[in-house]
Amino acid sequence: MKNSENEQHTIPGIRKDDVIVRDPNDDGVDRRGFLKCMAWAGTGALCVMRGGVLTSYGLSRLSEIGPDKAAGELHFVQISDSHMGFNKPANTDVAGTFQAAVHKINALPVEPEFLLHTGDVSHLSKPEEFDAVDQILKSAKPKDVFYVPGEHDVLDDGGKSFLARYAKGAKGNGWYSFDKKGVHFVGLVNVMDLKPGGLGSLGHEQLEWLEADVKHLKSSTPIVVFAHVPLWAVYPQWGWGTEDSAQALSYLKKFGSVTVLNGHIHQTMQKVEGKVTFHTAASTAFPQPQPGKAEGPGPLKVPAEQLRTLLGITDVNYVRGKQTLAVVDSSLA
Amino acid sequence: MKDRIRKITLIFFAAIAVAAGRPGVSLFAAAAQEKPPASAEVRIDNFSFGPANVTVAAGATVTWVNHDDIPHTVVSNDKLFKSKVLDTDEKFSYTFTKAGTYPYFCSIHPKMTGVVTVK
Repeated sequence: MKNSENEQHTIPGIRKDDVIVRDPNDDGVDRRGFLKCMAWAGTGALCVMRGGVLTSYGLSRLSEIGPDKAAGELHFVQISDSHMGFNKPANTDVAGTFQAAVHKINALPVEPEFLLHTGDVSHLSKPEEFDAVDQILKSAKPKDVFYVPGEHDVLDDGGKSFLARYAKGAKGNGWYSFDKKGVHFVGLVNVMDLKPGGLGSLGHEQLEWLEADVKHLKSSTPIVVFAHVPLWAVYPQWGWGTEDSAQALSYLKKFGSVTVLNGHIHQTMQKVEGKVTFHTAASTAFPQPQPGKAEGPGPLKVPAEQLRTLLGITDVNYVRGKQTLAVVDSSLA
Repeated sequence: MKDRIRKITLIFFAAIAVAAGRPGVSLFAAAAQEKPPASAEVRIDNFSFGPANVTVAAGATVTWVNHDDIPHTVVSNDKLFKSKVLDTDEKFSYTFTKAGTYPYFCSIHPKMTGVVTVK
């Protein structure tokens, strides 16, 4: 398969219309194409950026394509909001649905290099809840998992349990960064020291650390920021936003590609703003209502046969060259 | 004699009628309507405190009960009281001895706020 921007792709089983080859800004990213691809995510599509062209493949057709085409260069999966320990009607078997998410990850045509868990690992910060998650993750093929806490993970005295388990070597309340294949990952914590009436909060110390952490990186370095509460104002009335995220994002202005991965809202949502792509993941435990569509942001009860269609994992691919990550959601059903 | 009794009775009832007509005076349960309750219950449900504003008398105990399917906490803005994490059906009580205004919030979901006013 050739990757020149003007050539038609001939992938068996893929219609011409599935392939997007417009590149109006000449930056390797076809925004409309990307957003169109995102709209397919609900049916399970894999979008891969190769040589400046965003290509999509229905998940059911991946076997026809072959691992090298679907892989890209860096491949990881985001999971979120496992809420181990939750046992109310919205889902009385969160361990089962979490295991189903692991099966889904293990069934991907190319094994992800690692997992990102964007928080609410546990429901009540109890040791047995964290233990249960660790146990289930033992059956996941990717052995490296990077975590940031959700508000449900830090219910015990400043999150001591969570930090001891998942944030060794992290700074302050658990923030850290690492690099994989030239992509710079930053894990942020925005669920501690929350103020009355407020939203998520990063705090002064963390912001200072972030500024210093990215200061000397080349602007061509792709950045992936992951944190529990959305770093954009999804729906402030329900606490779905972060007070001081604008300041964090200001430190990332120079970069050509920034991907922000969040959880907390238990549904997939995406927004592209200039060179920043924001994305929230579904929960593996229970869905929540769309903004404003219910009295409050609590667990949404749905008929049993529908539950797994509203839970899911997020597959992320990055190919060197055009710096943009392709982010795809698929449900557990 | 009968006349006098009648006159006094009339004057007595007239006095009551005048008193009843005066603002702030009620012949029935006046004391109970003016004094705030000696206890109150706040229901936590759908990510909100209900009622969000509650007024009690000094010395009153307020009890919060979590009817939501998600855990919440009750934390005073001024760090005067702090519940443990309340799962569904769990309760927290606090006795307010001094008059004043006591705003509080859920430390897990800080958009949830309420006020206890103690008179």
